[in-house]
Amino acid sequence: MLLPEQMTKVLIIGSKDHLEETVNILYGLHTVHLVDFPPDVEGFTLGSPLSAASEASGKLLKLRAVEKDLEIKEPKTPEPIPAERVKNEIDRAIASFETEISDVVGSKTKIQQRLGELEQKKRDLQPFTALPLDLEMYRDYKSITVFVGSVRSSPEGVLRESLDQFELFADDEERFVALFVPRADAEEAQRILVQHGFSEINLPPGVGRPEKTLEEVDGEEAILRKGFEEVQGKLEKLRDRHSAFVLASEEELSITVEKAETPLRTGATTHSFVIDAWVPSKGLEVLKNEISTKMGEGVYIELLEVKDRKDTDEGEEANVEEIPTKASNPRPSNLFEYLVELISTPRYNEIDPASVISIFFPIFFGLMVGDVGYGIPFIILGYLGLKKCTSNEWRTIATALFFGGIFTVIFGVFLFGEALGMHFAPSAYGEITWSSLLGIELPHSIDLGVFSIPIGVFSKLHDVKILLYISIWIGIVHLFVGFALGFANVAMRRGLKHALFEKFGWILILAGGVFLLVLMIDVLILLKPMAMTDLRLLAGTGLLVAGMAICLKGEGARVMLELPGLMSNVISYTRLTAIGMSKAGLALAFNSISIEMIAPGGGIMIALAILVFIVGHLMIFILAIISAGLHGIRLQYVEFFMKFFEGGGLKFNPLKISRKYTTEV
Amino acid sequence: MALEVGLIAVGAGIAVGLAGLGAGIAEGPVGAAAVGAMAENQKLFGKGLMLMVIPETIVIFGLVMAILLWLKMV
Repeated sequence: MLLPEQMTKVLIIGSKDHLEETVNILYGLHTVHLVDFPPDVEGFTLGSPLSAASEASGKLLKLRAVEKDLEIKEPKTPEPIPAERVKNEIDRAIASFETEISDVVGSKTKIQQRLGELEQKKRDLQPFTALPLDLEMYRDYKSITVFVGSVRSSPEGVLRESLDQFELFADDEERFVALFVPRADAEEAQRILVQHGFSEINLPPGVGRPEKTLEEVDGEEAILRKGFEEVQGKLEKLRDRHSAFVLASEEELSITVEKAETPLRTGATTHSFVIDAWVPSKGLEVLKNEISTKMGEGVYIELLEVKDRKDTDEGEEANVEEIPTKASNPRPSNLFEYLVELISTPRYNEIDPASVISIFFPIFFGLMVGDVGYGIPFIILGYLGLKKCTSNEWRTIATALFFGGIFTVIFGVFLFGEALGMHFAPSAYGEITWSSLLGIELPHSIDLGVFSIPIGVFSKLHDVKILLYISIWIGIVHLFVGFALGFANVAMRRGLKHALFEKFGWILILAGGVFLLVLMIDVLILLKPMAMTDLRLLAGTGLLVAGMAICLKGEGARVMLELPGLMSNVISYTRLTAIGMSKAGLALAFNSISIEMIAPGGGIMIALAILVFIVGHLMIFILAIISAGLHGIRLQYVEFFMKFFEGGGLKFNPLKISRKYTTEV
Repeated sequence: MALEVGLIAVGAGIAVGLAGLGAGIAEGPVGAAAVGAMAENQKLFGKGLMLMVIPETIVIFGLVMAILLWLKMV
C-alpha cells in the first residue's frame, strides 16, 4: 500500500503478421507501459507503422476540414455512437460530406468575398458624397489635372497666392478636397497639397451622384446578407445533423492512427517484432493468458526481470528512473495522489506518501479550523466537488475540503465544542455562547454510563498554552513518522547500514530534543527549578550527542547546520494553534459586533446585524479554506516530505484508449 | 501595573510585527522567482511553493513569542 506496485519487465516477441493483433490486445489490457525501443540496437530497426495508418490519416485530414467548415464546437451532451457503426459508415459519410457541405461552404465563401468588395466600395464612395459633383466630372479632361484626397489643413490660402487659376472643392470640415488645375500648374499644385498632408484617394468607377451609387451598393448588400443568412442556416442544420458523427469518427480515426503508429516505438527485424514493456507484476498472468489464448504460438513473452527496490549501484541511479511508478493506494487515499504529483512523482523504489498525507492532512486541517459551523459547509462543498468536477486540480481541492471538513466537524464538536465561533456550553469568560443566545443550557459533556463524551474541551482563545503544547507534540509525531519513512526508504534501497547513518541519527537527535523540550517547558514556562541530575536532561543530552555523532560520521559537518532547521521545523507546527486562534478571534469579533452591539437596537438593526454576521462569517469561511488548506499542505511538503521524499519518478502510463464520443461494444 | 501590561503589549506587537516584516522581505523575491520559474515550467509549482514558504516560519516564531508575552499579560 505504501510502495508503488511492483513492476516486471517483459519482452514480447512475435512474427510481423501478428503485430496488429498484439497491439490491439495490449491496448485492451490497460496494464502495459511501453518502453521506446532504443534506435541503436544492432540487428534491429524501428518498426514501421501499420498499413491502416496512412489511410486513416488521409481520412482524418478530410474530416478535420469538414469540422472546420462546419465550425463544430464541443457539444454539451455528447451522445456516444457505437464504434462499430462509425467504422461501417465512415467512408460513405466522408463522401457525402464532401458533396453536401462543399456546395454550401463554396457559396458561403463567395458571398463573403462579394460582401467584402462592397464594403470597400462603400468606404471609397463615402467621402465623395460631401462634394457637389457627379462622379464622371472627376475624370477624362484633356487640359486639366484633378487631385482628389484628404488633407490635414485647408490648402486654399497658399493655392490662392501661388496659382492663377484653380477650382477647389472641400467638404465642411475641409479634410476632403478635390482640386482642378490646368495641366501646366499640376506640379506646383501637387507640391502645395503635399505640404498640407495630402494623401490621394482612388476615384471609384460609376457615373452620376455618388449617393445614387451608394444606394445601389446598399441594395445589393441587403440581398447578399439575406443569402448569407440562408447559407448560414443551412450550415447550422448540417452542423446539428452531423456534428455528433463527425466528432465520433474523428475520435475513432485518431484511435486507429495511434494504434497503427505504435510499431514506431517497437523494434523490428525483417520478419519479427520486439516490444519492450513494463507490466505490474500482478497483471502479468493476465497478459500471458491473453496473448497465449488469442495468439497461440505466434507470439512469445519473455520475462526479463522482476524489479526489486534496491539501488543496484550508486552510479546506476539513472536506471531506476526508467521504471514507471504505478501508485497502489486504496480509496480514498488515492485522491491525495495529485498532491504528491504536484511536488514530484514518487520514484519506483520509495514510499508513496499519498496514503500518509491522506491521514495527516485532514487532521491538520480539522485542527486549524475546528468549528462545526464551517465544517458542515466544507463537507457539502467537497462532496459536490467530488461528484461534479473532473479536472485533477478541482478534484484535489474538493478532496481536501471533504476530508478536512469531516475532521473539522469532529474536532469542532468534541475538542472545541463550537459552531461559528461560539461555544455550545456556557462560558466562564462571559462571551456569547449558543447557550446564552438560545436561552437554553447546553451541556459540557454527554454522559454514557462510565464514559463521558466531552463537547468542547478547549477554547481556542483561552487555552492557548496547552494548545500550543499539543501542536508541538503533533509536530514531533509527524516528524518521527517522516524520519521513519526515510529510514525505511534508505533501508530498502541501500541496506540497513546506510539507513542507520543517514536517518537513525536524526531519529535519535529528535528524541533527545523531545526530552530537552519537556525539561525546557518545565523550567522556562512553569518556572520549576532545574537540577543537573534531572533524568530528562541526562537522557536528552545523551541521545542528542549520540545522534549527532552518528550523523557526523554519516553525513559530515552539514549536520550542524541542519540542527537549527529541525528545531524550527518543530516550532513551525505551532501554526496549527495560531491559525485556529486567529480564526476564533475574527469570529468572536464579528459575533460581538453583530449580536451584542448592533442587534439590541431592534427593528432595522436586527436585519443589519444579520447582514454583518453573514458577511463576516463568509469572509472567515473563505479565509479558512485558504489558510488552513495552504498551511496544512505546507506542513506536509516542507516539514514532512523533506525528511524522506525524493521524487523524480516516471509516471506509469499504460497503453490505453479513452473514448468520449464513441462507445466500444 | 498598567504600564507594565502596556509595555508587554507593545513588546508582543513589535515581536509579531517585525517578524512579519522580515518574513515578507525574505518571501517577496523568492515568490517572484518562483512565479518566473513556474511560467517556464509548470511542473516547478511544488518546488516553488516549498521554497517560498520556508521563510514564512519566521513569522510563526514571532507569533509564538507574541502569544507567550500575551499570556503573561492576562
